[in-house]
Amino acid sequence: MTNHPDMIMGTSQPVARVRLSPSRMLGLGLMALLAIAAIGGPALIGGDPAKQSLLHTLEGPSPAHPLGTDNLGRDMASRLLSGAQLSLSLAFLSVITAGLPGTVLGVAAAWFGGWPDRVLGAFADAVLALPGLLLVLMLAAISPGSWWALYAGISLTLWVEYFRYTRQRARIVLAEPAVEASRLLGLGPWLLIRRHLIPEIGPGLLTVAAFGAATAVTAVAALGFVSVGIRPPTAEWGVMMTELLPYWREAPFLILQPVACLVLTVLALHLSAGGARRP
Amino acid sequence: MSQSIKVEDLSVFAGNTRLLGPVSFAVSPEASLVIMGETGAGKSLIAQAILGTLPASLRADGQIVVNGRDLNTLTPVERAAMWGHELATLPQEPWRALDPLMRAFPQVSETFRHVANMSAAQARRATEYAFETLDLTGAEWRLPGALSGGMAQRVAFAATTAGNAPILLADEPTKGLDAERHDKVVSLLAEVPASGGTLLTITHEVSVARRLGGQVIVLRNGQLVEQGDAETVLTTPASPYTQDLLNAAPQNWPRSKPHTAGEVVLTARDLTLARNGSPLVSGFDLTLRAGERVALTGPSGVGKTTLLDALAGLLSPVRGTVKRAPSLSRTTVQKLYQDPPAAFPPRVPLRLTLQDVARLHGTDWDRVELYLEDLGVHPSLLERRPDAVSGGELQRISIARAMTVGPRILLADEPTSRLDPITQRDTLAMLARVAAKEDIAVVLVTHDPCIASNWADRLIELA
Repeated sequence: MTNHPDMIMGTSQPVARVRLSPSRMLGLGLMALLAIAAIGGPALIGGDPAKQSLLHTLEGPSPAHPLGTDNLGRDMASRLLSGAQLSLSLAFLSVITAGLPGTVLGVAAAWFGGWPDRVLGAFADAVLALPGLLLVLMLAAISPGSWWALYAGISLTLWVEYFRYTRQRARIVLAEPAVEASRLLGLGPWLLIRRHLIPEIGPGLLTVAAFGAATAVTAVAALGFVSVGIRPPTAEWGVMMTELLPYWREAPFLILQPVACLVLTVLALHLSAGGARRP
Repeated sequence: MSQSIKVEDLSVFAGNTRLLGPVSFAVSPEASLVIMGETGAGKSLIAQAILGTLPASLRADGQIVVNGRDLNTLTPVERAAMWGHELATLPQEPWRALDPLMRAFPQVSETFRHVANMSAAQARRATEYAFETLDLTGAEWRLPGALSGGMAQRVAFAATTAGNAPILLADEPTKGLDAERHDKVVSLLAEVPASGGTLLTITHEVSVARRLGGQVIVLRNGQLVEQGDAETVLTTPASPYTQDLLNAAPQNWPRSKPHTAGEVVLTARDLTLARNGSPLVSGFDLTLRAGERVALTGPSGVGKTTLLDALAGLLSPVRGTVKRAPSLSRTTVQKLYQDPPAAFPPRVPLRLTLQDVARLHGTDWDRVELYLEDLGVHPSLLERRPDAVSGGELQRISIARAMTVGPRILLADEPTSRLDPITQRDTLAMLARVAAKEDIAVVLVTHDPCIASNWADRLIELA
């Protein structure tokens, strides 16, 4: 096979080029739009998500309120954007705080084997034995309505995914003759990680991260909806659903908005994760 | 006489590119056809076209008639119905083709039962008879993973022939077998035409073609190079390529010229080794000198690879010692692998891999390019990833990579057993040349006694 269609010509890029499928492009495009809206949106619209106006409750779209107003006359558009900011920043941060230790510990367990592997594995199993939301609920009970409790709970639950994925894949990669050959050639740990582990495991980790972010977004909304997560009056999609649920007959388009935002975000994350195909 | 397989103007295309052909041949019952050629010559495409198992991206043109039926007129389902009944295939590397969770006996008897439509009692008797004649007694209730390569090949042979199909296709039946098992499989195959069947064998080994006889087809890059009687083609070939192929067989290699070996680079004393708790090598002694070429032979499973790992310092011995000369650092011992693609980081361009090694050992890039040139590797290949170059090219690149370190000892684990004869000869000749130039000691593990005796200065047989 001298004319492999995917060979990299004239580049020293060590990480495999990921071929983007149409669905993945769509997912990444949606995520980019959501991120831009969450970061730049509130400034652009300029509305205060907490400002009430009891004369203008449950209104439909108007020039002043493009997506209408809620039961307390607050601007839906700025509330949704503020909720997006909260959910996405929490998801992004939890991906980092869960992903980094999870990946590092996973590589360590695979690398050293023996008792470090067993201790870390048992720890991960113990975390897994608790249903994910239970840990978040416990932390939320200690410190009700706190963003930090939510963040810590989600990170503590999600690191196991990274750990298990990395450990499993790294064990296989490290046992390959290619790694033995590289060791014999004198490559140190850093080069072994860069040339063998990162190219082999990296693309899959991005997928795990996207699913993890989706889980975080869903968890925030679910806890908000059952009133144990973020508390009113903070604009959060789950909280907004609870607040608008009693008015679903009069103003169905209002409650549909946070639901649509949540569905769209999770869908975008899943699409950007699932379309990954290594060449 | 009627023909059991007749192929006329068979061509295989990928899009508009012709990968194979046109090829025409006809084989009668009680006859044998051997298809020869180097890796990638399109040998397997012929088998796939006959079976109807070509990948969807490829298209076959031409006429194939099997037992009087034109395959072009049959539906895929009708073609599949011929498998096992009229056409049987002996797969490559059968230990990968057998069901890993099914014991040997039921694996064979189910073919008698369901393909040959025997009753359960008949199938059991037939299987018992097959195990007896194939010298498989004792292996009946083992899982394929517990069978040796030769046994797995014979179990696969029993399962393949149980359907009593008159035509047998054997795709590289000797790949990965040691010399003794190699001969056993070839004699099994030779019995097929003798007992009235038709045999089609695909191989890159001249010795197999010679033993089986009959007709021979030589392919190169999908083109028919030569076709005719085995007698004629294998003794007085018309084309220079066939001549080259014949000359490349290890028994025709020139014997290595003895030369004076240098100072001692490695000593192993009273080495006893075990892998996964089972003892393999015991009381092994070796004194290796600079510039020496040592061949290590012995049947599969005797511990050749394990011994090499111990010499490389990758495995600590149960007893005994391996000592490098005091002046030699750890990286002066390098290894060459049987399956070159598995020895390179798969997603990294080859240039980067070589650059890493050169930088670590302070070797000038000019020097690396000199090695590559010496080994006949075109520099543009380095832009590719390991899976995009051929096995022969990659093995030469791996020699260059080892040379970059400045090794004193090269441990080569069957480095050419997956290569065709011409590539094998050229690769080993290059290895010998660079080793001689830099006074490097080479330990070559091989299962081919001709390679061992012609290529090496010294032979060590493990038993």
